[in-house]
Amino acid sequence: MISCKNVAKLLMSDQLQAQSWWTRMEVRLHLAMCGLCSRLARQVEQLRSAARRMSDQDEADLGLEDRLIRRLSGR
Amino acid sequence: MPSTVSASRLEFLTANRKMTPAVPISASFLERLRRRDPDALAEAVHDHARPLIRAAKALGFAEQDAEDLVQDVFTTFLEKLETFEGRSQLRTWLFGILHRKAMERRRASIKDDRMDPIDEVFESRFDADGNWTRPPADLERLLLSKEIGEIIRGCMDGLPVNQREGFVLREVEGLDTGEICKILEVSVTNFGVLMHRARARLRECLEIKGWSKP
Repeated sequence: MISCKNVAKLLMSDQLQAQSWWTRMEVRLHLAMCGLCSRLARQVEQLRSAARRMSDQDEADLGLEDRLIRRLSGR
Repeated sequence: MPSTVSASRLEFLTANRKMTPAVPISASFLERLRRRDPDALAEAVHDHARPLIRAAKALGFAEQDAEDLVQDVFTTFLEKLETFEGRSQLRTWLFGILHRKAMERRRASIKDDRMDPIDEVFESRFDADGNWTRPPADLERLLLSKEIGEIIRGCMDGLPVNQREGFVLREVEGLDTGEICKILEVSVTNFGVLMHRARARLRECLEIKGWSKP
């Protein structure tokens, strides 16, 4: 059976989709049985959502595009 | 044995994750850009400036420097339009210019981190058989908290620029692996290493922050 370390590597490196059907199935079965690895899998997703929220929270700069267009047009 | 999770919660692992699609540039739009049509330029800026600014900020450029850098990207793009054959996506081309400009300014190289101490930290979490010896801490409360945006921003400041750039292109902008590899000029394997290190660093940082949060 695939080890926790190899599952963690595949989850964190975004390489799972590139694996064979068999490996993906092994990972899936492993995650169904291992609470620690499934916690890590959830965290990868939650980290992505949190990073997107962080980006959305960036202060809205309404004049950005117009300012850039003016600067480019003035060349 | 730790608690298990239902199969339905794990479907994202085998399903194709929704990515921001790369839109091909049309011949007529390219022609308008080459004629320096102001409306075409405005359209390109409106479509791409904000993601480029976000990426520039993620690379550590302050607000004004990020805007200058993105202006530089569009200027270079306009200058090189004649050599742009339209086979590449406009977005890929622009992010590629941004990446090279940022690296020039930083004099940093994407290939300069073959050794990274975070790899040892990751390895130290497992025994010789690959079982957890230092399991991942429960970060659920921290990751769902209101302050998480600020905390992640702080943790991202601790990432090397190439890892930060890869993480932002993938996780914030939602680009697929092939497009990111073209932009960063790295192989799929190298990109995997970048992502692994970026996530490992962010996790370690969040675990430390998690301890200090009641």
